[in-house]
Amino acid sequence: MSKIILKSQDGQEFTVTKTVACQSAMIKNLIGDFGEEAEHPIPLPNVTGPILAKVIEYADHHKDDPPPSGDDAQQVRTSEDIDAWDAEFINVDQGTLFELILAANYLDMKNLLDLGCKNVANMIKGKSVEEIRKTFNIQNDFSPEEEEQIRRENAWAEDR
Amino acid sequence: MGDIEATWAILHPGVDQILNRLLDGMSYTNWINMYTTVYNYCAMGSTSGGAEHSGSTSTAMVMGAQLYKNLRSHLNAHLNDLVLTAQRDNLTGVSLLQFYTQNWNSYTTATTYLNHIFHYLNRHWVKREIDEGRKEVYDIYTMSLVAWRNNLFAKVHRPVLKASLKLIEQQRDHNHIDTALIKLVTESFVSLGIDESMSSRSTMDVYNQYFDQPFLEATRDYYYVESRRFLATHSVPEYLKHIESRLAEESARVQVYLHPRTAGPLIKTCEATLIGAHVGVLQPEFQTLLDGERLDDLYRMYKILSRVPGGLNSLRTTFEEHVKRQGLAAVEKIAQESSDAAASAGAVDAALLAIHRQFSEMVQTCMEGEPGFVAALDKACRDFVNRNDVCKSGSSKSPELLAAFCDQMLRKSSKTEAGEIEETLNHVMTVFKYVEDKDVFQKFYSKALAKRLVNGLSASDDAEASMIAKLKEACGFEYTNKLQKMFQDMGLSKDLNDAFREQVRQHQEDQMTGIGGNSDLVDLNILVLGTASWPFTPPVTGFSYPDDLVKTYERFSRFFTNKHSGRKLNWLTHLSKGDLKTNCYKQKYTFLVSMYQMAVLLQYNNGTAFSWEELMQSTEISPDVLKAQIGNLLKARVLTVTSASLLRGLGEPGSTYTLNLDFKSKKIRVNLNMVIRNEMRQEADETHKHVEEDRKHLIQAAIVRIMKTRRQMKYQDLMSEVLTQLSTRFRPKVPDIKKCIDILLEKEYIERREGEKDVFAYVA
Repeated sequence: MSKIILKSQDGQEFTVTKTVACQSAMIKNLIGDFGEEAEHPIPLPNVTGPILAKVIEYADHHKDDPPPSGDDAQQVRTSEDIDAWDAEFINVDQGTLFELILAANYLDMKNLLDLGCKNVANMIKGKSVEEIRKTFNIQNDFSPEEEEQIRRENAWAEDR
Repeated sequence: MGDIEATWAILHPGVDQILNRLLDGMSYTNWINMYTTVYNYCAMGSTSGGAEHSGSTSTAMVMGAQLYKNLRSHLNAHLNDLVLTAQRDNLTGVSLLQFYTQNWNSYTTATTYLNHIFHYLNRHWVKREIDEGRKEVYDIYTMSLVAWRNNLFAKVHRPVLKASLKLIEQQRDHNHIDTALIKLVTESFVSLGIDESMSSRSTMDVYNQYFDQPFLEATRDYYYVESRRFLATHSVPEYLKHIESRLAEESARVQVYLHPRTAGPLIKTCEATLIGAHVGVLQPEFQTLLDGERLDDLYRMYKILSRVPGGLNSLRTTFEEHVKRQGLAAVEKIAQESSDAAASAGAVDAALLAIHRQFSEMVQTCMEGEPGFVAALDKACRDFVNRNDVCKSGSSKSPELLAAFCDQMLRKSSKTEAGEIEETLNHVMTVFKYVEDKDVFQKFYSKALAKRLVNGLSASDDAEASMIAKLKEACGFEYTNKLQKMFQDMGLSKDLNDAFREQVRQHQEDQMTGIGGNSDLVDLNILVLGTASWPFTPPVTGFSYPDDLVKTYERFSRFFTNKHSGRKLNWLTHLSKGDLKTNCYKQKYTFLVSMYQMAVLLQYNNGTAFSWEELMQSTEISPDVLKAQIGNLLKARVLTVTSASLLRGLGEPGSTYTLNLDFKSKKIRVNLNMVIRNEMRQEADETHKHVEEDRKHLIQAAIVRIMKTRRQMKYQDLMSEVLTQLSTRFRPKVPDIKKCIDILLEKEYIERREGEKDVFAYVA
């Protein structure tokens, strides 16, 4: 099994198997374009060491998953079907969570991206507007009038 | 916000290198840098807040339009440069193909890279554009193909096609060419088929329009000329081989460098040009091949002509005529060699069989058992089996001969081995299949079978049963019903005889103890035959049982009436025979005689000479029959006649017949019961007459059956229905059916509908 070296933004190197590395569609394309090449590290300027470590942990755990069916229109996405390992894995502080999401997006790792987004969705679920603002540290930049109007317009969606 | 100027400034050299000098070394780092630049540019718009990433359309800006446009213009410019190079160097022929394919290769490789590097653009901006229904936005790779098509292909496809077709023509002329060039060209044409409305789906439009159609036209033109040139200098069989190899070449061509879907149309084109256009030249050769029995060429011609619609039609007709001619010729030959129709029965059938076997083998090996040829063979066989030289008199002669042949086979005297018999019978069935008048066969066959059984001439019960089984399979239960009954009667008779003998023995034992002395009964073997099943008619003559037999006769009659009351016994004295032991000569002889001869000879126990009148009176045999029987005895010199009587003629009043006491024979057993030839012919004629009678009944029965179910029917419909119903048995003549309709009208089974012409109704 050929090894691939991944090099993070801050110069940390990780040696992984090709299968693990190819969980990232981006790396898979890269390797595909070059064919089997020498042991040059692959620099990943948008990912920091700790985050890359997390990403690799995730990729390693899922390396034997069946390939996604490709036809994601048919897959019903819900934020509930997170298995135990994934739930534990994604149970991180908010900063790490968002960095993971960004890394997944950059590296084109659909499963990890979905997991991150589901987790964010779960964080929003069932919370009031104020609670959500608090959770994500969002400043209310609406005037009271604006806010009132928006509430009225979206009254139908309120969960009473 | 992403800065397109800065971004493109970073990307531009990389794109340029990938397009022009890919092999000079791209590194992971370069690749990643470009990818990251694209990512940063596109993701910028939505990552400024650092918080909300996957929001709704209204809040997230998706960047990319400008980047997409820049890349597209760059590709366009690159391709235009290539066109200019080609034009400047005035490339044509192979060098043009080399230029086109080399650039195609490097371009597609390069754009595969670019597609991956710009993948983030594909994932977001392009996807969204397509989702929102924007036309003319494709993923980067497809976009690059569109660019190739619009900028390069559009300007060079004509010379490229021309050069490709030229190469193919060279290969058809058996020159070596670089097939890889054409393979790449066709592959590129296929790739360029991009469905404008749905970029993920490809179409074959480009390939079809710019390669396939012109290619097929070139093929047609090429073979139009080539086939004529070849035929002008070669024979048809050679041409057939030529077609074969050409078709194989073209199939291989598709495999090597064309798109698979060209295969069908290409072969169709070749077939039309190489075969279809020359059917008129090819078909007449079929007769020559048949005459020469050139099986390989026949097979080749069959295979080749079966490729074009209607190509086989005239072959089938030719084949049918040929088989018919061969069959008739074979029969004619036999007819000339031997004038005796009865003796040639076997020869005719054997010849027919040989013809059938020869040609059915041909149909299997050379025509792959194609149904049309099987039908033609059947038709030809039916024709020559039923209407040939030996059977000039009509279609009923064939079945008669066939039945006679069966009789020869199944008789004890036949020298054939059991295994051979079975095989021969199978062949007989093959011919039988073609016989139209199956009812005639049945009549003659049952006649012959009856004689075999009664006279104990049957070679083997197994063979008999097997033949009946075959007939049953071919014609159904009803057809063989009587034949089977005849078989059963034989078995029943055996049991009956045993029972009778047992009773007689019992009786004798009783008598021994009582009166004692010898019984007056003679050893009797009797066959009781069901009137309905057996084709025998009661004797035409009267008969008085001689004293020596009368007791036995009465005894058995009593025995039978006791056993089966209500059944009437008709004694078929004309079929009966017996053994007589002589005591009047030095040598003791056993005479095998007919019942009538026995009656005559037994008279001579009481005297040595009797007059005609005396013999007639004592035996009560009718003069005709008696004359024939005595004739046989005279011929064998058992009886003699005085010269005075000889003058008067046999059977004249006053002629006297004396027992020849000087009778001598080399054999101990003397057969005096000779069948008279005249009788045989008469019998055959009678059988034919019977058949005619039976047919009338069958036709009438069929009409009544049909009318009963249909109630009402038009004349024409009725006619055809009768014809189909009876076709398995024989082919009724239309006038006969008419006659039968008239008879039924008279008998008021059916009536004419009033006011309606030609409509009959069933009268219940």
